[in-house]
Amino acid sequence: MWKTIVRRFLIMIPQLFVLSVIIFVLAKFMPGDPFTGLITPQTDPARIAELQEKAGLHDPVHIQYLRWMGNAFQGDFGLSYTYKRDVAALIGERAMNTFWLSLLSVILLYAIAIPLGILAGRYQNSRLDKAIVLYSFITYAIPTFVLALVFLFLFGYQLEWFPTKGSVEIGYEPGTLRYFWNKFYHILLPAITYAILGTTGIIQYLRSEIIDAKAMDYVRTARSKGIPMRKVYSKHIFRNSLLPIAAFLGFTITGLLGGSIFIETIFGYPGMGQLFVSSISSRDYSVITALVMLFGFLALLGSLLSDIIMSIVDPRIRIE
Amino acid sequence: MNKTKWSLIALLISVLLILAACKDNKEEQTVEEKEETIEVSSEGTKGTTENSEALFDLAVANEADAIEGGTLKVAMVKDEPFQGVFSWELYEDGYDADLMEWMTNALFDVDENFMITDEGIASLEVDQENNKAVVKIREGIKWSDGEPLTIEDVILPYHIIGHKDYTGVRYDTEFQNIIGAEEYHAGKAETISGLKKIDDYTLEISFKQLSPAVNYSGNGLWAYATPAHQIADIPIDELVESDAVRKNPVTLGAFKIDKIVPGESVSFVRNENYWKGAAKLDGVVVEVVPSSSISVAIGSGEYDLVQYFNATKMQEIQDLDNITILGRPELYYSYVGFKVGKLDTKQGKVITDLKGSKMGSQELRQAMGYALDIEQVSEVFYNNLRERANSLIPPVFEAFYDSELDGYTYDPEKAKSLLEEAGYVDVDGDGLREDPNGKPLEIKLAAMASDSTQEEIIAFYLQNWADVGLNVTLSTGRLIEFNAFYDMVEADDPEIDVFMGAWGTGTNPSPAGLYGEADQFNFSRYTSDILESTVKAIDSPDAFDTQYRAEQFKIFQQHIEEVATTIPMQFRYEIFPVNKRVKNFSVDYANEFKDHLHEIELSAEKPVSSK
Repeated sequence: MWKTIVRRFLIMIPQLFVLSVIIFVLAKFMPGDPFTGLITPQTDPARIAELQEKAGLHDPVHIQYLRWMGNAFQGDFGLSYTYKRDVAALIGERAMNTFWLSLLSVILLYAIAIPLGILAGRYQNSRLDKAIVLYSFITYAIPTFVLALVFLFLFGYQLEWFPTKGSVEIGYEPGTLRYFWNKFYHILLPAITYAILGTTGIIQYLRSEIIDAKAMDYVRTARSKGIPMRKVYSKHIFRNSLLPIAAFLGFTITGLLGGSIFIETIFGYPGMGQLFVSSISSRDYSVITALVMLFGFLALLGSLLSDIIMSIVDPRIRIE
Repeated sequence: MNKTKWSLIALLISVLLILAACKDNKEEQTVEEKEETIEVSSEGTKGTTENSEALFDLAVANEADAIEGGTLKVAMVKDEPFQGVFSWELYEDGYDADLMEWMTNALFDVDENFMITDEGIASLEVDQENNKAVVKIREGIKWSDGEPLTIEDVILPYHIIGHKDYTGVRYDTEFQNIIGAEEYHAGKAETISGLKKIDDYTLEISFKQLSPAVNYSGNGLWAYATPAHQIADIPIDELVESDAVRKNPVTLGAFKIDKIVPGESVSFVRNENYWKGAAKLDGVVVEVVPSSSISVAIGSGEYDLVQYFNATKMQEIQDLDNITILGRPELYYSYVGFKVGKLDTKQGKVITDLKGSKMGSQELRQAMGYALDIEQVSEVFYNNLRERANSLIPPVFEAFYDSELDGYTYDPEKAKSLLEEAGYVDVDGDGLREDPNGKPLEIKLAAMASDSTQEEIIAFYLQNWADVGLNVTLSTGRLIEFNAFYDMVEADDPEIDVFMGAWGTGTNPSPAGLYGEADQFNFSRYTSDILESTVKAIDSPDAFDTQYRAEQFKIFQQHIEEVATTIPMQFRYEIFPVNKRVKNFSVDYANEFKDHLHEIELSAEKPVSSK
């Protein structure tokens, strides 16, 4: 298994290389550059040319690529054109925000979806099951921004249970307990929104797996041995039914850094999704390439993680 | 089986009910909207007939007793984090400038025409004969950290902007007008030779050529001080990432930064050393608020002041009883431009070719102007928060704006007769006009993409032109993304005959840079002897005589109106929702709150909320 993991990591290198070439070339194909948006009636076109020259934008694409590559190997992803900050630091800051929000979202997501899925499967065709299925259809059908806005207005502005925007109230000393509590308080509502919207898939998978498992031979065997139904569910059925969900766990973990543009925009929460979209529209090349590389790496890592997790939870599967 | 059927039906019914509920709501809303539109438009017509500025109040009228201190809560409507570059020399995003206004380092005060007065920290004396200007700062002024303001703080910004490692756009043609700036930028000189320190409070600046723009902080004059004792030792290329710029800038303004949550909020506290006297407020908190929830936030009394409120959301807040909506005309115009030439990049000159251009006919261009029903667009889509522009100079510049210009008011009949006259007639009977040679005429319009309203508006304009028999289609077949749009317009892309853009004029409305012969941003590529001479004259030494300058501005406006190579489309209003508890607040350019921050007061402990 260790051999396989190492091999998979080695294969990532050419994959990421190809990705970097594609994204680099595509980014350069986009019309305009980071300076287009800065032009005012007083701007001297010669100055724009000088700035482009200084930023190395006049060099042939392959030269620019090699330069970028060389720096990237040393961990230097350059300076954001828009934010005028070190790209790694900028992404790091946003990544932390997104990470905590996503982590809480995922925890809530599983906390809601797994019990509901199990109940729906166990008490198939009961009223409870129907209510759960109806719930999951509705949450599946509601667009993210609609639910986010409704929650924001209802729980944020009307009932005033939650803060309405941002990642932390100004005025708390970073590092103190109250600061962390305030941060947690700020991500609670967006995380709940996100979790509720994502439950459908897990509920449906679990429900149908459990329904299938109920009719399996091993369940009948267990029952005939006299094991109580409660135990059959918790010991036998549950573990088997979780397999398809475990298959996605790797992607879920690496997906924690992806961020959601809708949630972030509506709740005014500075995260990765927003950074990615705004860097594209402002042609912030250094940020675009760094982010795509990061997302690409995470996707590859996610698939590897999923495979590893599967081999752990399901002894029938072996990675060779 | 039966059970599933029933549940399916139940589900369907519930969905239908939800849909029906939605529909009801929607109907109610549209009716309401209609009523509101009528209300606003009647106000609008009243406004335009009497005085366009009467559409909004310019200042709050709160006479209640003020409380001691208090914190002003400001919302900055923005859907992404702010950048947080707190330096007048280095910032690029307008939002950063608005944050800096609370702690501004501005040296000069200006009057309603944006001309420098003697009221500010510094005064300006212009020596026209010798092309020199003398900046004199008041003695005894202190930075927020207690250090005295000296002339070094006034000189340093020039050495930042002119430096070879400076990466901003402010090193421009105007800046190069300072003697020695280019040598310094090239690294050939240690300092800028045109800057001469007379004493600790006086700076003499020598220019290559002096123009009246210097009185409006143009021509190379820099209007801000920077704390030399804090940043002089930081290398220029590290400045933008330094704490002195990002976290704890020392200021001259009414407030200073207390805390920052990067990208989200800034809290300011009163600057006890403020030269006009310490502010009455304890502090100010500015927060970024997403545009999707700003209207609700205003209604629930979360904020005292809202900056960058989008005028298209006016209907959501106009009936709230806890705010006063202040508004003022913006320093902005949108236009439709016609390509009548090319830029010769080798000579760096605009080559106008009226005969060889599709849009070369003056009548055709004028007709296209008359055919646009901009009045209706302003009313329907913008609730009259935009209005038909008659000139390329926004009316705010009273001294230069020519109110007597007719502009191209909607007149399709006139458009048709102009086209007939010029020989654009429909020969093959398909309802579309051919060009004077009888060949099919297809005009390509480039327009920028933004929200869905923009698509409707552009479709409406295309219909306007079709109504007078002109076949106008979109270049590339769709609206064009901002960056691509300016790339194509700048490159004189053959796909573009007509384009719709906009300019923010800043406080100096001079046409230099946009309509001159050597200007790359002269996008319509039109120049003529008379245009070139007025553009030059407006910034010539003669123009220190304001009357002469105003005359030249009029000639410029009239000439462009006549040749119609650029037709002004809309001016727009900037609106500021202000909570009822705020006192002493005005957005009048002549008496702006930015110059009177220390006088703002509050009349209640908390912002008033709407019932």
